[in-house]
Order: sequence, then C-alpha cells, then structure tokens
Amino acid sequence: MTNLQIEMAAAAFVLLLFIVICLKKNSLSIKNSVAWLLLPIVFIIIAIFPEPLTAFAHWLGFETLANFIFLVIIALLILICFFLSISNSKQQNQITKLNQELSLLKQKNKK
Amino acid sequence: MKNSGTKILLIIPAYNEEESILSTIKTVSSSPYDYIIINDGSTDKTPDILDESNANHIDLCFNLGIGGAVQTGYKYASENNYDIAIQFDADGQHDINYIENLIKPILEHKANLTIGSCFIDKTLKNKRSSTIRRLGIHFLSGIIKLFSGKRIYDPTSGFRAADKSIIKKFADNYSLEYPEPISNFELLKYSKYTIKEVPVKMNRRKAGHSSIHSWRTIYAAINVFLSILILNFRRNKK
Repeated sequence: MTNLQIEMAAAAFVLLLFIVICLKKNSLSIKNSVAWLLLPIVFIIIAIFPEPLTAFAHWLGFETLANFIFLVIIALLILICFFLSISNSKQQNQITKLNQELSLLKQKNKK
Repeated sequence: MKNSGTKILLIIPAYNEEESILSTIKTVSSSPYDYIIINDGSTDKTPDILDESNANHIDLCFNLGIGGAVQTGYKYASENNYDIAIQFDADGQHDINYIENLIKPILEHKANLTIGSCFIDKTLKNKRSSTIRRLGIHFLSGIIKLFSGKRIYDPTSGFRAADKSIIKKFADNYSLEYPEPISNFELLKYSKYTIKEVPVKMNRRKAGHSSIHSWRTIYAAINVFLSILILNFRRNKK
C-alpha cells in the first residue's frame, strides 16, 4: 500500500467514526444516514483496492483515477446540495404554516 | 352599511408600522367593515400599540413576509366565514372610501376578485409610483398579457377584494413572495374566476418604505417574470 492509500483510508475512517458518533448522539436521523455511511465505506474500499476502479476509469476515458474521483465526488456534492435545498423548501413551507396556525390559535384563545 | 348581512373583512398586514398604525386603526374601526391586523413579527412598537389600542390583531410568531402575513388574514377570513376579504395597507396608501367601489362588482356577482388599480382612471392623480416602478409594472402587465391573454393594468396592486371562493383558495395556497402579480396571473390563466380592475386613488405612504423600491424593482420584476414562466411550465405538464 502506498502512503496515499493509507492516508485516504484513515481519513475515510475518521469520517465514518464521526458519522457513527453523530448517529449515536441522535444529531443525524437514521433515515438520512445511509448515504453518509456508505460514502466512507466506499472510500475505504477504494483506498485498499484501487485497481478495479482505476481500470474502470481508464475504460471510461479518464487518464488518472484522481480525475475520476474528483468528478464523481463533485457530482455527488451537487446532488446532495440539491436534495438539501428541496427538503429546505419543504420545511420552510411547513414552518410558515405552523407559524400561521399557531398565531391564529393564540388569537382565538385571547378572546 | 352592513350590505344586507354580507360579512366583510379588511386584512391589514403590518410590519414595523409604528408611525402609521394608530391612524389606520382609527380609520378602519370607524368604518362599517370588520378588520384584522396581522402583525408580521414587527420589531418596533407596533405590537405594543396594537395591544394598547385593543385592536383586533394576530401576532405572528416571527416575520413571514407580506405573502405569509396576508395569507394568515385569508385563513382568518375563511375560518370566520367571511363573504368578502379586502387587503388593505397599514401605511395609509389605500383610501378606505374606495372600498365601496372595489367590492361593488363582487356584491353584484360580476367578479370573484377585484383589483384596485391606479392606472385605469388617469384623472385620479396618483402620486404613488416612481418612473422605474411604473416601468416594472407595465413590464409585468405585458408579461401577464403575453402568457394569459388577458390584460391587468396594475398587477402589483395590494388593494384587492376577494369573494368567498377566492378566500378559500388563498387560505390554502398563496405565493409567499410577490403574491399579487403571481396570484393574479394564476387566477387569470387557470381558473374559472373573473377578475375586474376598479379605478382607485392611492395616497403617498405616510411612513415607512414600500417592500419593493428602487433598483430592487428590476430584481422583483425579473423574479416575477421567472415565477410566471415556471408556473406556465408546471401547469402545461399536467
């Protein structure tokens, strides 16, 4: 194993640990955790066995594995941001509705 | 004048209107209409003034913006079974004497929604708009005409009256940003409802600033334009 592989595996392991701690503390809901748990696990696998992925990247036309990984990760981040944006919009609507209903109720109670 | 049992409500959104709210309360409480003031999370003395003067009001838990505040009013109107709801500004821009004209088409069942417009009757000297704002309004008016085939001269007017069916619709679904042009467009294009514009005179605001002004007008116009495009796209797919 090269140094780079060890570094990557270690970093991914730290990320995995962090996610597990968050899950334990209940600051990340289990429903949202699957993607986040898969990510470091995939990283660790890639760090230990880079050959199949390198071959795949070459087959796709990438000169180096690094380029391929950058592209995939950036795409993944954009996707995650987009889904966060969607859930944010939904929550905004829900919070607006809660605010309105609560305020209406308070007004009714005051009478 | 209770219009033979027709229940009429003024919806008055107020955000930081400490300078003008008291005179608005006086105006509306001496009118024949019911009113509800929606305090949209004001950070000045507005809530205190509302409490002290015993005005009928709702305090939102935090600021929602004009769309969310007005929608709260429509929800209130719907829950309390009002026949007509009128959006009325807290800053003295709207003239209460024109309400009779505004609700007339609704009372006569000739319209579901009426818009108080200051561009129809040119003899009512209006001091409301800056040149840029007027340009923005004309632009939006053109866009709405282009996509819906119908002309509204003052699509951004916040002086509107709604009948029972529209009250229910707005209580369920109301655009939180730039609500007037967007809801006007939606109603025009996708529903059986009739919209009528009524000439009114608008005053220069007594205090405070319009939520839409100066270069923001351009930004707002572009935003509304995009929203209308998206609405078009959404409905066409169905």
